[in-house]
Amino acid sequence: MSGAGIGRRFFLKVLGATGVAAGCSPTHAPEKLIPLLVPPQDMVPGKPLFYRTVCRECSAGCGVTARSREGRIVKLEGNPEEPTSGGALCARGQAALQELYAPDRFRGPLLRNAEGRLSPVSWEIALGKLTEAVRGASPDGVRLRTRSEPGTAGAIQRVFLAALGVPPDHREVVPGRDEKSLRAASTLLYGRSELPRYDLSLARSVAAFGADFAETWLSPVELGRGFASGRGLPESQRTTLAWVGPRLGTTGAVADRWIACRPGGEEDVALLLLRWIVDPANHVEGLDPQAAPVRTALAGFDPRAAARRAGIPLEQVAQLGSDLTSRRPSAILGSHTPELAALLLLANHLLGNVGRTVSFGQDSLLESYAQPAPGKAQVLLLHHADPSEGDAGVPLVVSFSSRPDAASDRSHLVLPDHHWLESFGDLEVRKGVLAVAQPTMAPLYETRSASDVLLQIGKSLGLKGLPPGDAQSISRKRVSARAAELGAMRPDGEHGLFMRGVASAPAAPEARPLVGSSVPALLSAIPAAPREPALFAFPTALAAADPRAPSWLREVPDAISGICWSSWVELSPRDAAAIGARDGDLLAVGNAQLPLSVYAGLRDGVVAVPANAPELPGLRGKALSLRRISPGRLPRIPGAQDDAGRDLLPTAAAVAAREEHHHGHEHGLDKGIGHEHPPEEHPYGMRPPPSHPVHRWAMAIDLDRCTGCQACVVACYAENNIPVNGAEAAAQGRNQAWLRIQRSIEAAGTDVKVAFLPSLCQQCDRAPCEPVCPVYATYHTSEGLNAMVYNRCIGTRYCSNNCPYDARVFNWQDPVFPSPLDLQLNPDVTVRSKGVMEKCTFCVQRIRGAENEAKSERRNLIDGEVVPACAQTCAARAITFGDLEDSAARINRVRQDPRGYRLLEELATGPAVTYLARGGKS
Amino acid sequence: MSTVSAQLALIEERVHAAQGKGGRLYWVLLACAIGATGIGAYSWSRIIRFGMGETGLNRPVAWGVLITDFVFWVGIAHSGTLISAILFLFRARFRTAVYRVAEAMTVFAVATAGLFPIIHLGRPWFGYWILPYPNERSLWINFRSPLVWDAFAISTYLVVSSLFLLSGLVPDAAALRDATSGWRRRLYAMVSLGWRGTDEEWRHHSRAYLFFAAFATPLVISVHSVVSWDFAVSVVPGWHSTLFPPYFVAGAILSGVAMVLTLLVPLRRALGIEELVTRRHLDLLSRLVLLTSLIVTFSYGMEFVLALWRGPRVELETLLFRAFGSYAPLFWTMVFCNCAAPLLLFFPRIRNTPIALFFLGIVVNVGMWLERFNIVVTSLSHNRIPFDWGTYRPSLVELGITLGSFGWFFTWFLVFLKLLPAVSIAELKEEVGHPHEGVDATEVAHAA
Repeated sequence: MSGAGIGRRFFLKVLGATGVAAGCSPTHAPEKLIPLLVPPQDMVPGKPLFYRTVCRECSAGCGVTARSREGRIVKLEGNPEEPTSGGALCARGQAALQELYAPDRFRGPLLRNAEGRLSPVSWEIALGKLTEAVRGASPDGVRLRTRSEPGTAGAIQRVFLAALGVPPDHREVVPGRDEKSLRAASTLLYGRSELPRYDLSLARSVAAFGADFAETWLSPVELGRGFASGRGLPESQRTTLAWVGPRLGTTGAVADRWIACRPGGEEDVALLLLRWIVDPANHVEGLDPQAAPVRTALAGFDPRAAARRAGIPLEQVAQLGSDLTSRRPSAILGSHTPELAALLLLANHLLGNVGRTVSFGQDSLLESYAQPAPGKAQVLLLHHADPSEGDAGVPLVVSFSSRPDAASDRSHLVLPDHHWLESFGDLEVRKGVLAVAQPTMAPLYETRSASDVLLQIGKSLGLKGLPPGDAQSISRKRVSARAAELGAMRPDGEHGLFMRGVASAPAAPEARPLVGSSVPALLSAIPAAPREPALFAFPTALAAADPRAPSWLREVPDAISGICWSSWVELSPRDAAAIGARDGDLLAVGNAQLPLSVYAGLRDGVVAVPANAPELPGLRGKALSLRRISPGRLPRIPGAQDDAGRDLLPTAAAVAAREEHHHGHEHGLDKGIGHEHPPEEHPYGMRPPPSHPVHRWAMAIDLDRCTGCQACVVACYAENNIPVNGAEAAAQGRNQAWLRIQRSIEAAGTDVKVAFLPSLCQQCDRAPCEPVCPVYATYHTSEGLNAMVYNRCIGTRYCSNNCPYDARVFNWQDPVFPSPLDLQLNPDVTVRSKGVMEKCTFCVQRIRGAENEAKSERRNLIDGEVVPACAQTCAARAITFGDLEDSAARINRVRQDPRGYRLLEELATGPAVTYLARGGKS
Repeated sequence: MSTVSAQLALIEERVHAAQGKGGRLYWVLLACAIGATGIGAYSWSRIIRFGMGETGLNRPVAWGVLITDFVFWVGIAHSGTLISAILFLFRARFRTAVYRVAEAMTVFAVATAGLFPIIHLGRPWFGYWILPYPNERSLWINFRSPLVWDAFAISTYLVVSSLFLLSGLVPDAAALRDATSGWRRRLYAMVSLGWRGTDEEWRHHSRAYLFFAAFATPLVISVHSVVSWDFAVSVVPGWHSTLFPPYFVAGAILSGVAMVLTLLVPLRRALGIEELVTRRHLDLLSRLVLLTSLIVTFSYGMEFVLALWRGPRVELETLLFRAFGSYAPLFWTMVFCNCAAPLLLFFPRIRNTPIALFFLGIVVNVGMWLERFNIVVTSLSHNRIPFDWGTYRPSLVELGITLGSFGWFFTWFLVFLKLLPAVSIAELKEEVGHPHEGVDATEVAHAA
């Protein structure tokens, strides 16, 4: 018996050996899978854990709540306890996850080999190489260029360089463009290089001189939120926005007034505005005493010449001036050049905005932006900063990039830093607001924190004066000490600090006396006349044009142009016609080839290119010749430019008029769209309306607040495992976004109106998609959701045809999530396969999660407990979500807003999404 | 009587001759048809392997050429039953010579059409879920969905039209059984169901045939009405119209009769049955084409009238887009093919020129295919939300499947021609036996 096959003893032997082998996993276990915030026993599979940290995608430093599932971060959200983000996050912050899980991340150190290619080496070799180079270099030859690091990382850099004996000016901090000009402006006016803080929530009128504060400017989440808090209000209380600049970007699109000056004409407009403010004829009250010298200095100013240079009619300045002076406090933003920033700061000062909407004494001032010392470097360390032209001959360029970027392209040695979601740190975003960063998951690869690398090299060189411990312990010590110093340490100690992710004791605004001496010089300098055609680089919140950006930022189209996965050039309709080019054609612009997007919201004579286009550097400072090459294929989401007169985006006034018209008439179906109301007695035809015994989930979207920033769209991609399909699919109409920002561009001469319409499944009471499905793959739930059963779907696509809102998307092929991007997939949401239909679910996984939690705690759901990903990340708080069956819920109040209307109401589908019409003049 | 027996002999001879070994042309055609089917099968396999992305479909146009093909083939399937059953009930004698071809065409066209609802599914391997069958998960189908009605309509039509064809074949198969040997004999024995030609059998047969004719007739109307509901029940402007059922039925008959003409003209030549299928038959069929073409023209006009008269604005905008938008060339080609070209049939000379009828049949069918394409695609292309407007262009895979559907249809049809009698021997003989009852038999005699 035992002669053939497996005997009992042999079986037991194999069993034992396998058990032992399984126990001794050959790969070493990650050091700390779950950091100190929550004890490991709290990690229950299937239950998310949350970690607080700080976003480092731009210099704003928004607080982040990272949701972890089984040791992997699957979603980022803002930190509601932290004043910068206020719980929201921008598109870029949402997409930071894709930087973490980027397939092209460096797995370990790289050394450029003889063929000029980067090849992997061990940390020992890499650090040895750097140590040798530093040892061999004179102290004068070591340089470090870094992004702004107002925290432990910066301190360690400084200490390291000091210990090496390197002079402090060998550490060059690269400030953001906006920051640099603003600091220069405050130096000019107040004698201190200080960054002012803008609080738009206090402003009743705002003028933005090319400052796209809802997209990229300074701190877009904070500014966008502040601005939106004054929107969606009755006309008298509503914050108005004037946009000064040659192109209407998404921030400009929500403006009530557009002053389309030439690129570079902003300074002239600012001078004209100042002159208007101080002009006694305009009777501006409550002006700062400094108005008198300004008036004197502007005595010889020729407004007509300035208006000509800027290319605007003079009346527009008067309108702008009366907006800003009659609705105070106001805020005037802009920073293209230090001069512009100074002029606008002066205007703010005169109007008494400084100390209210514009405040000083808030800058943490931990970084100095001193001019770097001249001379050649022998070793150049690039800490998340780009190389410059002058670095050409440096023998050893070292970058700490974690992905291929401009720095790693030029480096000889790459020592990949942890992603910020994997590292400790701290950031004093402004005086008294200390954001605390902690690793949210174990490092994916053999990366090392740049601070640790510096400390280790210091140790190998035997440097004196370095702090003991590693970057983690130094950072933790510093954080606790600084929090205690701020008086923001609570009884729960360091643990509580990391739980909240922030220690906040905001400093009070300080008064700054204006140093008048520089004003006359500033005002008398006549700006140079702009040339035409002028190149204009416009910033975008997304990164369609940037080949190295995370795929979500490339897949989600630019809100205005609808373009994704490509850079492009914009021309006004007149200029395009002048060279005989049509939308989508391929143009030769200088020595670059770019597809053309014709945009009515662009001033004539301007050639606009996205600021992150790789072609842009080649275009600067050259004559711009434009020539049509051929018809091209512009990867653009198909669709009409406007609503074709179907009145999908009425203004608040139009909605009110429509209501009145409706009440004045007998009910019944009128002819024409938008004026049709379902017969009141039987809004649902023959059948009774569906009953919702417990909940009826509904949403309201305030179009007056929406800035078109698309953070919600990226959040939806992250939350719902939406596949990224690429350029060709997008151009073919196969972009799979569940939530899209539709935009309407209506142009009548120079009067251009751009409006946004976030469009998603309307979760209708009587959804047309439901009856046509032959297999009940989609049906109306008792909670009012239009549910989609992926398993049951056979892919007839009839539901998609029959959805009047085009809310449904089909899986044209199997989704691809290149490894390790698949680690980001939300385990609560099914990954759909080819051949099934899908659409917005109102984040049903979140609804179920909250319901289950409430049930296990034996209580009812609380209003606001369920927040879909889009509403959660909206800085403008434009999206309200809640339960209509809960009479106290906020959604019920919001839906009563007289601005409320529903899309295609005449079809009697009973959509659960109410739109609140945008205000302003119709 | 000798003339009668001579005529009977002639009928037998002609039909037998048609059954013989095919010529070179036959085998070339069959090879082409099978090759085309192969291309279609390969194209579909790409969809199964890589997903619906192989088509040109998108948001908003989620239906395209495949649904066009479906409606087209259902339309083709209609005339068979119409010619056979309805004309049988009306005792229109001229049907005798053509009805077998028409019936066979119906069965094969339904068999082709029936493939498309499966082919166009995102997950065709679950196509059977559209049928109600008991299962352990107690899942049921949605009877409110027109696609379920479709499944019932098409399967019913396939069963009834097959039975109708087979029941008409019984006496003929028996006649052939007695005149052949080998596997053919066994095949005919099976189809003839043991027919011996007794009086009682004849009585039952004619009763049964009458029953099937009566049963199939309402199906002609209902099946295509149901197919039109796929569109009419929706809320898509350009689809949502009460006009659709009669409009679709008329269109189906137009395309079906045109297809019969296209098939018959070469067939009567190739099989040498010009004496059996005469010019008079063709003339009568072409009158039917003319009539249905006029109905279809009227329907096109009515769509605009209804939209102008009371319809919502989107309805009119969709129609204007159809006529003047991106797909305008297709629209005007359709108008030419379906409305203008058939007007030629007012001239008796055209009706009496088989070759003209052959080409006119093709023209009409191109037009009818375009009609379905226009309805399906243009309406979706400009749906209610302009921000989502988009265009659709069929991919090679879809065109491959369309070609494959023709291959599939003609493969069956060509095999049928050699296996089963293409004209009804029994009924033609009956005509000869009762010359006073109709004119057709006399014509046969004259031709002989």
